[in-house]
Amino acid sequence: MPNITTFSTGAPYIYLSIFVAADNNTLHEFDAIFDTGAPRTEFSDTALQYAGFLSATKPVILKNGLQTQKYGKIILPQIQVCGHSIGNLEVFVSHFEKSWGIDALIGLDFLRQFKVEIDYSKGCITSDTLPFVTK
Amino acid sequence: MDKKLTWNEMKSMFPNEWLLITDFVLDQSGHLISGVVARHSVDKDEVYRLPALDKPSAFKYTGESTFPGGWRAHAEHHHV
Repeated sequence: MPNITTFSTGAPYIYLSIFVAADNNTLHEFDAIFDTGAPRTEFSDTALQYAGFLSATKPVILKNGLQTQKYGKIILPQIQVCGHSIGNLEVFVSHFEKSWGIDALIGLDFLRQFKVEIDYSKGCITSDTLPFVTK
Repeated sequence: MDKKLTWNEMKSMFPNEWLLITDFVLDQSGHLISGVVARHSVDKDEVYRLPALDKPSAFKYTGESTFPGGWRAHAEHHHV
């Protein structure tokens, strides 16, 4: 059964909620942008620190013209996007420009795991699990 | 501050601020409907400071995002 997730067509990007199960099993919600230009999902270091996955953020000096700077990878035991749970997802740890107003970029790794259809005229994403493929 | 507010009320009361919201209600798509603003500040670090609250938390920014998007944001910063 596919999940249907709505988004605002008036916004410049597709904003979605991403849920992270913290190390104490508490589920935290962060704002994310669905970014097909991102090869892999990335999280802000401040969000990961709050959820208990980083002991400290790393001081980062942004290079000219950049708004994020990846400086690590981490495996999150469980996240939820568009109503789907994803276990043990490796994500980038990034320093985000605060004015972005978000804590995550949902990348192509999400698209690889699900069948995703975006209907911009209706402002909805239909997502479903992929059928099991045997080699 | 334990009054439950709608998302529109939060945006009106705390413009251009980061919010940590507890006891929140979401719609089926995960969009915030209402909740209790437990922390708010124009300084993101102040809202995300440790210790974390021992309850589900939602984080929102009430201002306009300056996310640039596209390859400008990604092309040159794969330093891992």
